[in-house]
Amino acid sequence: MTRIPVRLAVVAGCVAVAAIAGSIGAGAAAPTAAPIKIGISLSLSGDFSDPGGFAKQGYELWAKTVNAKGGVLGRKVTLIIKDDASSPTQAATNYQNFITKDKVDLVFGPFSTLLTAPSAAVASRYGYAFIEPAGGGPAVFDQKLHNVFFTQPAPIVESGDVFVKWLHSLPKSKRPKTAAYPALDDPFSSPIADRMRGQLEKAGVKTVYKTIYPSENVDMTPIVSKIAAAKPDMVVGGTQAGDGYALVKAMVQAHFSPKFLFLSNGPNSPGEFPGKVGVKNVNGIFSASDWYQDSKTPGNKAFVKAFLKAYGGKASSIDPGSAEAYAVGQVVEAVAKKIHSIDNAKIIAALHKGSWPTVEGTLHWNSIGEPQGQFLLMEWLNHQLYPVLPKNVAVKKPVYPKPAWGK
Amino acid sequence: MHQIVQAIILGVLVGGVYALMASGLTLVFGVMKVINVAQGALVIFAAYLSYALFTDLHIDPFLSILIVTPAMFVLGVAVQFTFVRSLRGPDATELSLLVMWALALGIEGVLSVIFKTTYRISSPSYADNSWTVLGYRISEVRFFAFVASAVLLLLLSFVLTRTRFGRAVRAIVQNPTAATLLGVDSDRTQMLSFGLGVSLAAAAGAVYGVIYPFNPGSHYDLISRLLTIVVLGGLGSIGGAIFAAVGMGVIEALVTVEISPVWASFSFFVILIAFLLVRPQGIFGVRERTL
Repeated sequence: MTRIPVRLAVVAGCVAVAAIAGSIGAGAAAPTAAPIKIGISLSLSGDFSDPGGFAKQGYELWAKTVNAKGGVLGRKVTLIIKDDASSPTQAATNYQNFITKDKVDLVFGPFSTLLTAPSAAVASRYGYAFIEPAGGGPAVFDQKLHNVFFTQPAPIVESGDVFVKWLHSLPKSKRPKTAAYPALDDPFSSPIADRMRGQLEKAGVKTVYKTIYPSENVDMTPIVSKIAAAKPDMVVGGTQAGDGYALVKAMVQAHFSPKFLFLSNGPNSPGEFPGKVGVKNVNGIFSASDWYQDSKTPGNKAFVKAFLKAYGGKASSIDPGSAEAYAVGQVVEAVAKKIHSIDNAKIIAALHKGSWPTVEGTLHWNSIGEPQGQFLLMEWLNHQLYPVLPKNVAVKKPVYPKPAWGK
Repeated sequence: MHQIVQAIILGVLVGGVYALMASGLTLVFGVMKVINVAQGALVIFAAYLSYALFTDLHIDPFLSILIVTPAMFVLGVAVQFTFVRSLRGPDATELSLLVMWALALGIEGVLSVIFKTTYRISSPSYADNSWTVLGYRISEVRFFAFVASAVLLLLLSFVLTRTRFGRAVRAIVQNPTAATLLGVDSDRTQMLSFGLGVSLAAAAGAVYGVIYPFNPGSHYDLISRLLTIVVLGGLGSIGGAIFAAVGMGVIEALVTVEISPVWASFSFFVILIAFLLVRPQGIFGVRERTL
């Protein structure tokens, strides 16, 4: 008997508070231009909470920066960020609510392909542009949506292309003749290794071992034992972070050091990789990345400066995930300035034409949102991660063959 | 042939660590009929404790066993006292599943907040070293992990066979009613057994954190392996858990090397199902008799 009145009181209280808050909010609103509301679902808890946090930093930094300049088209920007707990279902629900309940003006993408694919479909259904920083896997582009714009230089599956091109440029006697391809069985990693294997086999590099391992495979030692027995000149791993670290550790313990080692992920994390595999074991390892702190891309210097002012730390420890998210904001800022509108249909139409300057480079997309540029080839040299290709970004030249472990 | 022998060596070394984790799980089930699905999360929790001791205080991960194990024994006793002790009656086993799963998710959440979700690994100076014995590679950390696990399992065996507490545990495992009638303090034995089970997870966690990168979500894979091991070994049988753990390590390593990593875990499940069709009580389990 007593529970119903208590609940009613709570509900009534909430309604009253909401009403008061609403009236205060309405009273405080700018009389001229209402802010531009942007809905963003981010993984602030769960498996992707770390990269979700990096994206949040990038988005919030952009909002702060653009608001300090007077906003977009004279309107301040308000970000409505909701946690999706790293769940694709929750992310899709969040976007549904942003569009139908919160009536946001724009939506920005969440973290990772897994969450971007269903979220982009929701946005497409309502005609919203879906400019997104981290959904670069085939699952996003296979939907062939015309509202998607991925703010990295190229689709993730192409992240190894720059390494293969570089190998082709080497004198024939210096190129690897044999290769092994271990790859994680997920939608982002194994396609990279498969694509590189196809390109390298065409170029005459003999495949001596290839395997796919499931994500629950935490022990890389048996795989490395098999690779070492095949004695390849090169190992190309389609990896994510954890398995990438484990693969390198297992190679070190097996005293197996190939002449060339490329891992799609793991070594491209400058803050994490040395601690996981030992700083003395990093030299000569290649990976790919979409961003570098000293790149001369549009607005990058200002981004790095503002980031360090807002969050502290070192430029080399800024996660590319923050730059990717910041680039989403840059694209919106640029397109709104060009078309004098934030109408989603007009934004989609405009972004399919021309090039758009961002910290990730000057981006342009095909009809399904795949960027048409190329990734940076990164290499660990003197225990630091540097871009070594393409030449306009490179800080150092690629060094090969890889030194022995501990050198 | 070289590859096969190398795989068997790897499998035995890894199997020893899994045996340590699984022995705690099967001990708790044997005494209390509680399926501690939080065992994997407790292993990961201990791995983080050991990692923190290593990175902040420079305490060697293997030495940290001496700190982590008693600390988590106390935690285990507290968990049993708070969450498990009140579960009685015919539904106790099923209810314990839910309670322990909630605990596992709680531990995962707390670890995610404190340590974030990036992978961690304890890397002492000898982490990269390995020996070559008759042409076969033996990683130092894996060898130490195996030795530490074997020593702790021997210690467990000593406690269970040579101490008054151990006799009480075995009596409750065999016949709880008769044990209570003969004066065994059932509540106290259950509480201490749970603490012991968690402390085994703790020791295994300290070792696990040296061998594999881990993050708060690593417990999902761990618990599925551990449950498979204790079911194959026979629920409640520590000898069975050790045998099954080493068997799993060897089979997975052999299948990875000779066939494909994709089939490694699956092959163990195939063997488990085939074995249980013939011997449902597991390798060392005892078939329960009903009137």
